[in-house]
Amino acid sequence: MNRDYAKYALRRVLQAVVVILLAYMFTFVVISVLPGDPVTNTLRNPQNGFTEEEITRIVAYYGLDRPVYVQLWSSLSRFVVGDLGVSLRSGLPVTRQVGEVLGSTVVLALSALGVALVLAFGTAFGAQYLPRRVGRLLRAFPSLFLSMPNFVIGLVLINVFAFQLGLFQVIDSEGGLATFFAAVALGIPVSARVTEVLIANLDHEAGEEYASVARSRGLGRTRLFLRHLLKPSSLPVVTVIALTVGELLGGAVITEQIFGRTGIGSLVERSVTTQDLPVLQAIVTLAAIVFVVVNLVADLVYPLLDPRVRLGGTTSAARPEPRDLAEVVAP
Amino acid sequence: MQTSRRVRPPGRTSRMIVGLAAVIGLAACAPGGAASSGGSAEPKQGGAVTFLIDSLGDTWIPNNSAISSFQGHIWGHLTDKLVYVDEKGAVSPWIAQSWEQNTDATQFTLKLRSGVTFSDGTPLDAAAVVANLDIWSKGDPTRGINPIGLFPKTYKASEAVDATTVKVTFNAPTLGFIPTLGYHGSILISPKTIALPAAQQADLSNDLGSGPFVVASWKQGDSVVLKKRADYDWAPKALSHQGPARLDTITYKLVAQPSVRTAAVQSGQADVAYNPSPQELASFKAQGFTTATPRYLGFVNGFAVNTKVAPFDDLRVRRALQHGIDRKEIISTVYTEDWLPAQSFFQSNVPGSTDHSADFAFDAAKANGLLDEAGWARGADGLRAKDGKPLELTLYANPYLATAKSVDELVAQQLKKIGFKVAIQAFDVVTYGERVKVNSPSVAAYEVTRSFIDAGTVAGVLTDANKGENWFGLGQSDPKLVELATGVARAATVESRAPLLDQLQGHVLQQGYFVPLTQIVQRIYLQSPKVHGVTYNGLAYANYYTAWIG
Repeated sequence: MNRDYAKYALRRVLQAVVVILLAYMFTFVVISVLPGDPVTNTLRNPQNGFTEEEITRIVAYYGLDRPVYVQLWSSLSRFVVGDLGVSLRSGLPVTRQVGEVLGSTVVLALSALGVALVLAFGTAFGAQYLPRRVGRLLRAFPSLFLSMPNFVIGLVLINVFAFQLGLFQVIDSEGGLATFFAAVALGIPVSARVTEVLIANLDHEAGEEYASVARSRGLGRTRLFLRHLLKPSSLPVVTVIALTVGELLGGAVITEQIFGRTGIGSLVERSVTTQDLPVLQAIVTLAAIVFVVVNLVADLVYPLLDPRVRLGGTTSAARPEPRDLAEVVAP
Repeated sequence: MQTSRRVRPPGRTSRMIVGLAAVIGLAACAPGGAASSGGSAEPKQGGAVTFLIDSLGDTWIPNNSAISSFQGHIWGHLTDKLVYVDEKGAVSPWIAQSWEQNTDATQFTLKLRSGVTFSDGTPLDAAAVVANLDIWSKGDPTRGINPIGLFPKTYKASEAVDATTVKVTFNAPTLGFIPTLGYHGSILISPKTIALPAAQQADLSNDLGSGPFVVASWKQGDSVVLKKRADYDWAPKALSHQGPARLDTITYKLVAQPSVRTAAVQSGQADVAYNPSPQELASFKAQGFTTATPRYLGFVNGFAVNTKVAPFDDLRVRRALQHGIDRKEIISTVYTEDWLPAQSFFQSNVPGSTDHSADFAFDAAKANGLLDEAGWARGADGLRAKDGKPLELTLYANPYLATAKSVDELVAQQLKKIGFKVAIQAFDVVTYGERVKVNSPSVAAYEVTRSFIDAGTVAGVLTDANKGENWFGLGQSDPKLVELATGVARAATVESRAPLLDQLQGHVLQQGYFVPLTQIVQRIYLQSPKVHGVTYNGLAYANYYTAWIG
């Protein structure tokens, strides 16, 4: 087991490194095939009044007139020694720019994950044990949450809680309550998938023999839920949480814009619209690292959490897939 | 009964109820209510202004960002300029107390105000001004510092004669030099900042000016907080206030959503929202809020017509284009009465701008007559054609003007009435920059939005003389245009230039080279009624140095 585990872990780590390098190069290629470059695009604004000669000279300073493969090589050789370069738009070192905003997004994403989990577990518990009518209403929540774009939720929350009730200030976007409401806007759609999986697994576990036995012995609902049903139902949630990292990062782009927060999301938005390649490469690489690491941790933790999971020859067999979503609508 | 309930997808009704409630909630939550009016008419000391802005631009390297429509607000408070240009284009002394020029406007002598210092205590003297003039003119390509694009390209050199005297020489007459010193690109920065590498200049905290405010804190892409400089005492005399600013702080906070910006001002959480939608201004005014739509000095919004592209090589077609556009309808439909129709191809507040509106007044009958005369016959669908070719025009909505697409859509409808088949292309800034270029064979009508500080700038765009932009594709082929443009460029005094500018405007418009639409308002402000005394300069930036909260 231990040797198998070590081999498995090593293979996963090597795969992760390859994925990160590919993400870095893929970003470069995608941005490079777009028309124009960030420097020329700015200078061409007729308001600037630059001549073509001046533009050519400035573009040459940034090395953007060199062949794409030369640019890729120099970018890659800097990257492997940890130099992320300088933003083509702000002129600031990329590490500084990303570092300044990273904390804000981490706080938002973790808060949103917290909101999503509380919502998911609350809804799943209610769907199991509250009166049937309420339960049915709660079972509609995942599809409702999924169909509500986070910018709509965000604008409603800002309107009600900031402008109508004055609970938070839009200009203090990093404040406690402002962060909480931003986390709610981001967390609601993210909770949908977790809730669906949890409800499906709770339904399954509740129908198992051991649950019937526990009930017949007079075990209370809450005790049965917390002591016996929750743990086996939650294991697939670990997989879903790993997958929601992408949703959290993607959702942060919109949520940060709506709430006026400066985080990775708003930096991505700015860098994409301005084709700021070094910053984009850093962020995509960071996202790839986060995604790979979270999934890696989930994969490595899973065999330790659930003794039934055995490590096969293929890595993908390590984690069971979450229960089919079709089971959710057929309680 | 029970079976049918089970078959139904669970919770559909409940889902609808919750969804409906959310929509109703959203509709009901629109912040409303009137602003509290009144307040003090007497200026007060202290207080803070929070300004919500849609972008904070990209870089803070002074030369690379000074003319940004967004960062210009911050530079205007951090720095001073050599001269002040008010909203009517009048030039008055600021750091330069007086100036003289030689007879052919190739040499200028600036006399500086003494005792002015940058915020680190470095004197703003002749040597500092020379360092600034040099960096504006040439930039520093080895450090990634751009020149200021619109600084006169005729600049030769400048020298510090003594601590308060600067002599500036040009290779050719440059009457526009003095007004250019009041342009938003011409901000005076400490020589210590100018000497820093680009990466350090990109840190706003290192960018030292001599203005009435200094940087208290800033975060890239998020906010800039300015605090007043207690020893500031060199405001332009043209302003109503002297000495240190009245406000303690100004906070510029980026809020990308226009509705959140305006709702924050309506609910009292912020004082100013930048760039609200023009259509909402009437409603804000009715609620007691202040709105401001200052015009910058520059060209009006309109089309520069490429005379090389058929059928616009025909004067009658160009003139039909001019007379086929109803500018009053554009203002009443897309804008509000705060916008003005064009009178020339310069904004009417530009010194030297004269009223030529009769040359391109809306007159559908005249437009139809001109097209008939040119041989463009109407078909069954009302559109015109000649020798089997339809009368077509493609408009490329200018991405730098938020309302450009709406204006173009209306113009397309108006031109359809006189028989034009108009297509509209809207690109993002990047694609637009690549595909839509003035004087390109595929662009018959280039939509102009550009500010300038001196009408002399016009000489550099009309023909291809001196690497001019050649807006109309004429090169040197129109001798009268060449003569007038050269005359404007070489004029040594404003007085001798005025009649030439008038003739030039008449000629360009009578030849249908330019099709004016409306005067441009590029900066729109929604303001709390608590804020008083705001000044708008010739580039339509709001100046809170004179403002107070009451």
